[in-house]
Amino acid sequence: MTDQTTLPRPDTAEGKATKAARSGDMLRNASVAIGCVALFVVFSALNATFYQPSNLIDIMLQSSINAVIAVGMTLVIMTKGIDLSVGSVVGLSSMVAADMLSHGLLAGIGAGLLVGLVCGALNGVLIAKLRLPDFIVTLGTLSIFRGAALIYTDGQPIYGLPPEFRAIFAGRILDIPTPVILALVIAAVAFLLVRFTALGEQIIAIGGNEEAAKLSGINIERVKITVYVVSGVLSSIAGFVLIARIGAAEPIGGSGFELQAIGSAVIGGASLFGGVGNPLGSLIGALTLGGLQNGLTLMNVPSFWQYVASGVVVILAVFADQWTRQRG
Amino acid sequence: MLNRATGEGDGASRPAALSMTGIVKSFAGVRALKGVDLHLRGGEVHALLGENGAGKSTLMKIMFGIVQPDEGVISLDPVGSVEIGGPRDALAMGIGLVSQELSLVPQLDVAQNIFLGRTKGLRIVPRGDFRQEARKILDDLAPHLKTDSTVSSLGMADRQLVEISRTLARGGRIIAFDEPTSSLTPAEQEGLFAVIRRLKAAGKAIVYISHRMSEIRAIADQVTILRDGDVVAVGPIRDYSEARLNELIAGRELSREMGGEKPAPVQGKPVLRLGQLSTARVRAVDLTVGAGEIVGLSGLVGSGRSAILRACFGVDAVTAGMIEIDGRPVKVETPADAMQAGLALIPEDRRGHAIVPMMDVERNFGLGNYGRFSSYGIIKGGERRRIIRRYVEEMRIRPPRIGAEMRNLSGGNQQKVVIARWLATGARVFLFDEPTRGIDVGAKAEIYALLRRLAADGAGLVVVSSELPELLLLCHRIGIVSGGRLTHIVANDASLTEERLIELASREDAP
Repeated sequence: MTDQTTLPRPDTAEGKATKAARSGDMLRNASVAIGCVALFVVFSALNATFYQPSNLIDIMLQSSINAVIAVGMTLVIMTKGIDLSVGSVVGLSSMVAADMLSHGLLAGIGAGLLVGLVCGALNGVLIAKLRLPDFIVTLGTLSIFRGAALIYTDGQPIYGLPPEFRAIFAGRILDIPTPVILALVIAAVAFLLVRFTALGEQIIAIGGNEEAAKLSGINIERVKITVYVVSGVLSSIAGFVLIARIGAAEPIGGSGFELQAIGSAVIGGASLFGGVGNPLGSLIGALTLGGLQNGLTLMNVPSFWQYVASGVVVILAVFADQWTRQRG
Repeated sequence: MLNRATGEGDGASRPAALSMTGIVKSFAGVRALKGVDLHLRGGEVHALLGENGAGKSTLMKIMFGIVQPDEGVISLDPVGSVEIGGPRDALAMGIGLVSQELSLVPQLDVAQNIFLGRTKGLRIVPRGDFRQEARKILDDLAPHLKTDSTVSSLGMADRQLVEISRTLARGGRIIAFDEPTSSLTPAEQEGLFAVIRRLKAAGKAIVYISHRMSEIRAIADQVTILRDGDVVAVGPIRDYSEARLNELIAGRELSREMGGEKPAPVQGKPVLRLGQLSTARVRAVDLTVGAGEIVGLSGLVGSGRSAILRACFGVDAVTAGMIEIDGRPVKVETPADAMQAGLALIPEDRRGHAIVPMMDVERNFGLGNYGRFSSYGIIKGGERRRIIRRYVEEMRIRPPRIGAEMRNLSGGNQQKVVIARWLATGARVFLFDEPTRGIDVGAKAEIYALLRRLAADGAGLVVVSSELPELLLLCHRIGIVSGGRLTHIVANDASLTEERLIELASREDAP
């Protein structure tokens, strides 16, 4: 046998190391919030409109679609996976939902959710059962689902959604937009799931060390399929919000949402190395990206440049993750 | 410490080809090397001995530039003090390392591997020249090897020869062998020794790391013994008896432990029975383990000893045969099935296969055991904490904080947490793969005591180990695995010795 690479560590050194790791975690969580607050402070200083309550609520509203998707993305990333197909699931499920709404509210919502579930299950089965690389599978289904959305109405948008549907997914309760409430509730539920359930621990364990998780008797396939299904279903809910706000469903709806969602998850503290992540953090991640876009718009920065800015922020977040990992 | 001066004694007239002086290295505040000296001379084989975790591998990694020392000087004759920033530097200075995890690219051929990393940028690779030069080196070392054979088609012994050739192609003068024989057959070992003797005759300085005393005596001239990061002895090997070497390596603690009584035979009802169990790597294994019995499995790395455990545990697909637990046949297709059936696997590669390093002790303890520690999917944190605290106390897991991240525990304490995990599943049969690998001496004795207690409580244990003294100390019976088959199984009575086990292992014929 080869000599050991991990060296025995006397108990005395342990305390220090754990403390260091702890403070690393706290630093990470704190830096997420600090970064977000700093961004809001900077934009507030630069532009007086930015910090008006109505604009802040607008930012939350604009971020809510992305936030809902980012919560599912966070769970996927925590298993060391990735879901690039979320934007296409938004498009496909919203088309199907918009069409089915003509048969009633429940038919529309049910059909939309079912599409999200089936799309997620397809991703999960290909990745977990057939052991295909997640990146390639979801890149493939990104194209497949988008194609399906275009085929569904031969590329035509669907107009005229029932007002009650729009009231649910784009209304206001006590002046707070329902999408914001929806995003908060979904993130809170996901947080509790990660924190207090067996599934949550299994997600962390698989991301932290898949082999050890398997050898300890965890059903890896089931957990992985579950997170992709959750990601699919949350994408379809995001799709509902999208079409409710616009008042119409377009087959190209949701294009490019994957970058926003991955970015929000990573800014929110999810590690692409797996095993680490916080659904509440992804809310802050979504707010950061939303605030950035809103602020740049208020300052009349052309929207083309906003793409550049979003990309830079996402890469910076990944860099920060890698950096803290190597030191931790 | 002891005899440190003797190293200067014989051959001090010749300058050392490579000297490492006062090497200090800490990991996360723990001193792995506490000021180690190593002097290597051309034409000598220098054995580096010590327990797992004594610091041998760290020292070798420093010599090969993989790890940078915190303090200390490395000087190379005739250059003087050098800094070895990485393996590229080391190779350029003529330092080579032949380790278990060979650094060859399996998809490339022999010549390409020998000259790996020798071309830069977009320059055309001079294949013909490389072939010719590789041939020249191989003619001397391993005439049977073809320069255009793909490395993946070669056996372990030939791969080592390619690795050695690569070092020589860089003008290697100092070659370290880290446990080179653990996956070689006796005939291949002889071949390797012949090569080492030739290298020695050619004036190379050789470092040789092995746990096998007979090998050390056969090949080494000088010896340096490390214990807990300190040099405890250095000098010509002939100055030390084997017993003395063992004593110096282990420290007093283990030698007393080693002298312990052999376990009395037990007659329990069978808890595990394998009937003609076969997988892609295991051929028709029959084995019965009684309640309270510890059965050892010995054999070379790659002989299939670990594969037998993996087959039992549903990791490798079983192609034929059956598994019985407590007299009832069980179907084990996944590790989850195995856990349900009352089996436990404590794998060899703890970090890679048994623990989630970033998770805390409590969750690592509860890993997989959600049937017991959750209801309706919600974790029963209170109950889980109560039970892990009890194990922490009973097994003396240090630190006793269940919120500590697993990666911050020592190997021995991690192992205890893994064992506790399986105890909590109510396992009846424990499959241990190298249970004390990478665990320091003190914790080793504790793990042994734990294994004995598991058996005393009526569990059946199967223990795979490369360390024969460990098997002789623990097991009631010992099986020899070779080529995926269980070729012998013998009672561990007074007449059974290490030599006898080695002899059985090297017999080609099955019973």
